[in-house]
Amino acid sequence: MSLVIDVQNVSKHFGRATAVNQVSFGVEQGQIFGLLGPNGAGKTTTIRMINHILNPDTGYISILGEAVSPKSQERIGYLPEERGLYKKMKVFDQLMYLAQLKGLSQMAAKKAIEFWLDRFEASSWKKKEVSELSKGMSQKIQFIATVAHDPEIYIFDEPFSGLDPINSEMLKEVILEEKKQGKTILFSTHRMEQVEQMCDDICLFNQGKAVLQGNLRSIKQSFGNNTVLLDFIGDSEFLNQLDGVRINNRSTNFAEIRLLEGASPQHILEIAMKHAEIQRFEIVQPSLQDIFISTVNDTKVSV
Amino acid sequence: MINFLKIWLIIKREYKTRVQTKSFLLSTFLTPLLILGFMGFVIFMTVSDNEAPKQVIVIDETGRMLEPLTRLNATRYQPIKADQSIEQIRDLIMEDELDGYVFFDQPFLNEGTPATFVHNGSGGITFFESLRSDVRDVTRQIRLEDNDVSDAIIAIFEERPALENRRLNEAGVDEQSNAVVSSLGGIFIGIFIFIGLFGYGAILMRSVIEEKTSRIVEIITSSVKPIELMLGKLLGVCLVALTQYSLWIVTYAGVTILAAPVAQFFINQRMGGLQNSLSTLDTTGTVASVPSDIDLSFLEQFSIDPLFILYFFVFFVLGFLMYCSIFAAIGAAVDSEQDSQQFMAPVMLPIFLGYILNFRIAEAPDSTIAIVASLFPLTSPINMVTRMLVSNVPLWEVLLSILLLILSLIGMLLLAARIYRTGILMYGKKPTFRELYKWIRQA
Repeated sequence: MSLVIDVQNVSKHFGRATAVNQVSFGVEQGQIFGLLGPNGAGKTTTIRMINHILNPDTGYISILGEAVSPKSQERIGYLPEERGLYKKMKVFDQLMYLAQLKGLSQMAAKKAIEFWLDRFEASSWKKKEVSELSKGMSQKIQFIATVAHDPEIYIFDEPFSGLDPINSEMLKEVILEEKKQGKTILFSTHRMEQVEQMCDDICLFNQGKAVLQGNLRSIKQSFGNNTVLLDFIGDSEFLNQLDGVRINNRSTNFAEIRLLEGASPQHILEIAMKHAEIQRFEIVQPSLQDIFISTVNDTKVSV
Repeated sequence: MINFLKIWLIIKREYKTRVQTKSFLLSTFLTPLLILGFMGFVIFMTVSDNEAPKQVIVIDETGRMLEPLTRLNATRYQPIKADQSIEQIRDLIMEDELDGYVFFDQPFLNEGTPATFVHNGSGGITFFESLRSDVRDVTRQIRLEDNDVSDAIIAIFEERPALENRRLNEAGVDEQSNAVVSSLGGIFIGIFIFIGLFGYGAILMRSVIEEKTSRIVEIITSSVKPIELMLGKLLGVCLVALTQYSLWIVTYAGVTILAAPVAQFFINQRMGGLQNSLSTLDTTGTVASVPSDIDLSFLEQFSIDPLFILYFFVFFVLGFLMYCSIFAAIGAAVDSEQDSQQFMAPVMLPIFLGYILNFRIAEAPDSTIAIVASLFPLTSPINMVTRMLVSNVPLWEVLLSILLLILSLIGMLLLAARIYRTGILMYGKKPTFRELYKWIRQA
């Protein structure tokens, strides 16, 4: 299958700092692709290069088989992390302007914008200036600005940050709906539960490098069943006595325990039973959160 | 490479959002009103004979001054009444019933000692000058009579040879010229360009900063190239400035064309009123003739040559694009207006230089410094226009100046585009000059 977004050996430097270092990944048609990584890992810079806002120093990026260009920009709907609209401009005029900059004709832009305003029950805001809108309202307008030109590819940089739960849910619905229509979606996020729920493939960034990538399910499988979930009643002091484990998540009556080299789940169960009443004992695949944290920590050590 | 359709969309937005603002409408329509007021004031000053009629009592011990003075101006020079003392006259002056008295004693005519003019301070220098001129004329007349001078010599003294000021224009036709008016015009036009460069430069810079801080710029640059955005903004704001100037020029032209007939109309009205009041007084029915020789030809000095307007626009547009591309780059490099100060200083320097030189150039338009300043591209947008208004600049100098301006405009645009492209996506610390240099060097 041909790649919709193909990033090959891309590097980008700002002065002496290396923002993106020899990164390669590909996004297939109809996928939801997640870019993960801590702040400053190079996600936004990579996204800007895919959007042809920045040019890579070395390497090559192609969109739908062609090198990035003003033409490829028109096939992408981009929602930047830092949202922005002209505050003093009326909602409708603003959307018309942005859609026409994406190459739509006046007629097509008008039709699309009216469709989306209607869909988000926002038609009555047409004549309002953006500065008059509430935060939730302007988020919807921002989203319409991203999708109005009906692009084949969506790129969302931290799309859920700052969204209230209702808008967040709405965005999720729209993303899944667009995927059903064969659109390709790439988004970056910190929010692991959203990645687990939505993404097909992921690429994990750390310090400018792509440290882990592939199909989400196979990545999780490759880590094996190495995590113990424990629900208990009693003193949690015994957790400190465990050797060869890392406790990822712990509260008064719950622990998520990652087994390291040589640790046995049976041993943990034995110790736990001596000190507390066990309500649940389960051996599972690691959470993405855990994979994220351990991979980032590993690369930190190796650097 | 460059997508002109998108630039056009940007120009349209920049133009529309600005022309529709209240401040644009206010400044556009208030300024002509100010110009109108100014011109009306000038006309009023000329037409209204400068002064309210003054009354001066003549105390004449020589017995020879009063009669010729009243012949010169019967309303101004009044004889002292028989029952009036000097003290009474002084009281009247202090109460502002009279403007003053002038005292001629015998030694004034015999020995040439000064006469005395005592007044309440009203009227100022113009009034005093005209009084002195009257006294001199009368005294000279008396001396000529006393010395039995021949009529021929008297005629020589009465002669007032005129010097007409005519400037030869490009078409080879000499036209009436007034150096003072064109110097003033030169200063004015320089100030207009100066304000335009600065005012619109600041507007452009603010709007670049606003796009940057509101983060809309990232969405725009995911659709268009930074250079396209910058050009669109420059041209859009430039069009706004041109619209404003055009409206002003049209208003100005309208005013100057209408000024003479309107002024004439008011003069006629005034004269007509005077004639009516005279004819009602004059029981014999003969209408006294009133002179209507107020010269309005000076108004022609205010008219402007269409070719000059064309040059004005050429220099303004080129200067605007050159300076404002730098302002756009500065706006892109910083996050707030306060941060822009440091970079503004080196840009403001040549504009201020042009502005200051402008006063000198309006006075001496063909001096070496004027020629240099009107060719040097950083000052020529202001100084060449002034020079062209005040003097006849050789065509080759004008064309050379335009060529130099175009070349430096292209250079500035390229530099500015590089800073702009990097700057609009940079947030946080204000860059140093060295960093700007690095941005420029990055291919």
